[in-house]
Amino acid sequence: MATENIEDAKAQMGYDPTTNYDEATMAQQRQIEQEIAGCQPLIGKETDLKTLHDEYSPEDKIYQDKITDLQRKHSAYRRIRMDGNCFYRGFGFGYMEKLLKDKSELQRFKEVVTTSKDEMIKLGFPSFTIEDFHSNFIEVLEKLEKDCGVDELLEIFNDQGYSDYLVVYLRLLVSGHLQKNDDFFMNFIEGGRSVKEFCAQEVEPMGKESDHIHITALTAITGVPVCIEYMDRSEGHGVTTLVFPDDKTPVLTLLYKPGHYDLLY
Amino acid sequence: MANIAVARIKREFKEVVKSEEVAKCHIKVELVDDSFTSLRGEILGPPDTPYEGGTFILDIRIPETYPFNPPKVQFLTKIWHPNISSVTGAICLDILKDQWAAAMTLRTVLLSLQALLAAPEPDDPQDAVVARQYKETSDIFSQTARHWASNYASAPHREPVMDDKVAQLKNMGFDEHKARVALSTHNWDIEQAMENILS
Repeated sequence: MATENIEDAKAQMGYDPTTNYDEATMAQQRQIEQEIAGCQPLIGKETDLKTLHDEYSPEDKIYQDKITDLQRKHSAYRRIRMDGNCFYRGFGFGYMEKLLKDKSELQRFKEVVTTSKDEMIKLGFPSFTIEDFHSNFIEVLEKLEKDCGVDELLEIFNDQGYSDYLVVYLRLLVSGHLQKNDDFFMNFIEGGRSVKEFCAQEVEPMGKESDHIHITALTAITGVPVCIEYMDRSEGHGVTTLVFPDDKTPVLTLLYKPGHYDLLY
Repeated sequence: MANIAVARIKREFKEVVKSEEVAKCHIKVELVDDSFTSLRGEILGPPDTPYEGGTFILDIRIPETYPFNPPKVQFLTKIWHPNISSVTGAICLDILKDQWAAAMTLRTVLLSLQALLAAPEPDDPQDAVVARQYKETSDIFSQTARHWASNYASAPHREPVMDDKVAQLKNMGFDEHKARVALSTHNWDIEQAMENILS
């Protein structure tokens, strides 16, 4: 009887057992992504922070006050596409932009990336794909060594395939760091999942958003301190500033609005 | 974009071809045409499962956005398994959906599917009928899965009683596959199965 009811309900909803609904859902997601891609670059132009005021209604006092507060410390920002990879992409571009002007830091970072590959293979990541993403990442660092300009860097980060390759490697770095230090990070994972499970579900797949744990891991493994300005609907006139790790001077700053990161200057 | 997908598949192709599993004939990938976007996979049913010794053929489609999005995979060989549709061959497996990661490869996918054959997850089913049978009458499930594997995937172990029941209905003029589905769905009760086909 119960089954018949389910069958009736399915028939009423137009359920067709020969249709693969998961694939239909994924196809729709792809379509939405393409529509977003059509109107927003992966990394936007450097824009005056003043324009951020226009995005919110003049009556929206909380946000207007917070943007004013933000302007005390920052003058411009770059919009990053909202695709769930914004933290990694914003971090990657913002940091590499700094590396253009700091050759000794570039050498230090290249060393970190070079040793990371073997670490990850040791942790059990498939060497076949790790090498692919690793060599692509190194290739971009070598372009920085040869003094490519901001424009070329912007071009690289706005080429979907190239850019996603870089995002993947940053995701792998985070996953590797979390797994290597799972004794520590297991204390921060909800839902009774192991660190490895968490990485498979929330770190390695593209489009999964980043939280404190991801930021902590990426700043630790790269040795690049990051400042995040949190702009949300909480009380108070100013943005909340957090530095990861909190005893270091940040190399770059990201603007957080619920669910999204942009790059600040 | 498309170039990344094709370049990657070409490299993966070599990886699978020279892997240990291939040497043991456990997995295989072949080109369907020269486009590298449509592939044919093959996995061997794992030992100590109802699928043991069967050869299962998979249709693999590579999206333009590969490896950032998963390949589309479905079974071409008919199979009785809680996470695979007995009607369409569609698969319910996390890594083919929201847990796909670009560091995975076709080899990962084929080995994961092999693992799925050995360890069904009935709480996340693709085929509700099979999943219910798996949970409620696991003996009948195993026999049914073995019967399907011997008939569709050339697995060596037959289920003679089930073969006979299908033959009975076939001799009465029913389509063999329809008879098999009806019998499998109704726990091999011939009367119920006939009622189902005729209704």
